[in-house]
Amino acid sequence: MKYRVKTALLGAALGLGTILAVPLASAQESIYAPNLSYRTGPFAATGIPLMNGQRDYIMMLNERDGGVNGVKIDFDECETGYSTEKGVECYEKTKSKAVVTQPWSTGITLQVLPKTNVDKIPILAPGYGFSPMSDGKVFQWAFNPPASYWDGASMMLNHISGGDLDSLKGKKVALLHLDHPFGKEPIPLFETLAAKHGFEFLPIPVGLKEMQNQSSQWLQVRREKPDYVLMWGWGAMNAGAITEAIKTRYPMDQFIGIWWSGHDGDLQAVGEKGKGYKSISWSVPMNDAPVMADVKKYVVDAGKSLLDKPEDMDTVFYQRGLLISMILVEGIRSAQNEFDTKVVTAEQLRWGLENLKIDDARIAELGMTGMIAPFSTSCADHTGHSGAWMLEWDGTKFVTASDMLTADQSVIKPLEAAKAAEYATANAPWPVNEDCKM
Amino acid sequence: MDVLHKILVAPFIDMVAAPDFFMQVLWEGLVSGVLYALIALGFVLIYKSSRIFNFAQGIMVVFAALTLVGLHEKGVPALLAVPLTLVVMFVLAVAIERVVLRPLVNQPDVILFMATIGITLFLIGFGEMIFGGENKVMITEQLMIPTGAFTFEPFGGFLLIEQKDLTAVVGAGILVLVLLVFLNRSKMGRAIRALGDDHQAALSVGISLSTIWVLVWFIAGIIALATGIVWGARAGVSFALEVIAFKALPVLMLGGLESVTGAIVGGLAIGVLEKLFEIYWGQPLMGGNTETWFAFVFALIILLFRPQGLFGEKIIERV
Repeated sequence: MKYRVKTALLGAALGLGTILAVPLASAQESIYAPNLSYRTGPFAATGIPLMNGQRDYIMMLNERDGGVNGVKIDFDECETGYSTEKGVECYEKTKSKAVVTQPWSTGITLQVLPKTNVDKIPILAPGYGFSPMSDGKVFQWAFNPPASYWDGASMMLNHISGGDLDSLKGKKVALLHLDHPFGKEPIPLFETLAAKHGFEFLPIPVGLKEMQNQSSQWLQVRREKPDYVLMWGWGAMNAGAITEAIKTRYPMDQFIGIWWSGHDGDLQAVGEKGKGYKSISWSVPMNDAPVMADVKKYVVDAGKSLLDKPEDMDTVFYQRGLLISMILVEGIRSAQNEFDTKVVTAEQLRWGLENLKIDDARIAELGMTGMIAPFSTSCADHTGHSGAWMLEWDGTKFVTASDMLTADQSVIKPLEAAKAAEYATANAPWPVNEDCKM
Repeated sequence: MDVLHKILVAPFIDMVAAPDFFMQVLWEGLVSGVLYALIALGFVLIYKSSRIFNFAQGIMVVFAALTLVGLHEKGVPALLAVPLTLVVMFVLAVAIERVVLRPLVNQPDVILFMATIGITLFLIGFGEMIFGGENKVMITEQLMIPTGAFTFEPFGGFLLIEQKDLTAVVGAGILVLVLLVFLNRSKMGRAIRALGDDHQAALSVGISLSTIWVLVWFIAGIIALATGIVWGARAGVSFALEVIAFKALPVLMLGGLESVTGAIVGGLAIGVLEKLFEIYWGQPLMGGNTETWFAFVFALIILLFRPQGLFGEKIIERV
């Protein structure tokens, strides 16, 4: 009897030990990187391809290389439906283990921004979020590489003006934007540039409930006759706007969207009629890039992707998703090398994201030549301010329609500093990194 | 003085100065109004027969449109996909009656309302599982809906009427007429109205509650499909369509929850008025996007004078 009890106790102890040891071991051997995704709700159509790209890049690295320097990335998704409230819940739920938070909405970014100072978790918001986050002295924990919305706005104006913004004097530039923090984000820069160069700036807001019925907004376009319509659209708003533009017979070559308004799925709905529509983009789809072959081999062909069909790999948003994960992984790699460790902490990753060196050579090593412009970050510059290209819809797909464009940093930098300081004052006491030299 | 001029005089000068543009605004308002009326009708029918405020009407629009497009993607010809979608909506109506409504008979209204929230969440998850969350293209041309446009030059100006909008207006008009005839002339229609007036009295004369509930949920499904086709033709079919249901709330406040006529008149009134207000007052004076709130404010003002809405039933309760 005694023997049986002893054996049972020993068995139970071993079992318990095994149960406890397995997660402990796996926790030590992986880096937890949650993504506040939105595969459901009104914005799912644009979210899904991006989330798929992010997920597949990490999965490819885990399969091909066993992770980053031998450590697997534990990529987890917390569904927000693009709701700010749910996003904050997801942040709170994941923050105890996370080395990074990827909020995926300007609204969520603004909400978690103050929290990350306390929790010491870097925010990674590639190509979105609050543009002044670029000021690393004020926003120590926030990163929006490779280009901010203000970079996008400046590049759009550079493109339409042929590089001479004074040529826009007397012209009217409308901004058709989602009436949401994301859509309002470029307004300060447009207002500044309009005042400086003498063009008229006309914001046209689109409410969330009006995304699919924008007849009022396009009646305003018909009445005001803007020389250009620039769009900060997201989700169903993009397809709604392009449909109305066609109906209004607004010239497509005078209609340009930000990088989140250049989704193949939105344009496929209008096909040939959308020919000539452009979207500024910091990423370029390169279907024959070496990285694409690896993703196909290790993830898509292996049946591990969530893509509906393999052809969906050849889209702007899917490939941008790959690049977004690449930026995160390069931050992790940089931190591993600096701190000579495999499993990096959130604070170490912050250093990594602050010291990204994505030059041409590194882009080639990653098998991503031509997919993204080189950029680097620093303590003072959390964006990198990379270049971007105009993509144009040719009736069936987006093609590159310009040389690489760059933003006018002489206007952006002072505005970033001013707005960052304004934010810090409004949210005082706000910690500032005094060691960081601008 | 300048402000008063901008509010009371300038908008009317604009209307007269560009009559073609004014006509375009009226047309766009009318089209929006028809779309709002369609959504509101779905709410009214169910409320009329069962006193349930159907929170799931928006997701039913999405589900019906996705089923139609999904069937076509699977190779079903468009004209066959429509009746097959109606079969799916009928099965859904039967399932809702059996699984959700029947066990909740005699429960307070708020319980039934909460149950429709449950139906919404289920249909969101179920729909995403089957059809995915990506934007899909409505099969407008395959359904033989004309996609061209008529252009006119009134007063030397320019007026554009899209054929699909015209089809939507005519189609919705026919649907409403058929519904009115059905509700007022047919035996089943009268049974629906009787049930709405007094459940117990209706049951005592042999009207089957479960049959009527299946019927009204099926009719709401038909309306959802029509709404989904019309809205989907404008900007694709995705779960974003669900939010358009909220556009029907002020219509219901204005027209009354029990009145089919109220839903139609309320929808048209709000569609036209919110468009006129947005273009002539909202955009020049308030920076635009007044459509998000105008209809609610307008309905609230009406409710101050007619708490039951324009066409709602005046209920006198004796204590």
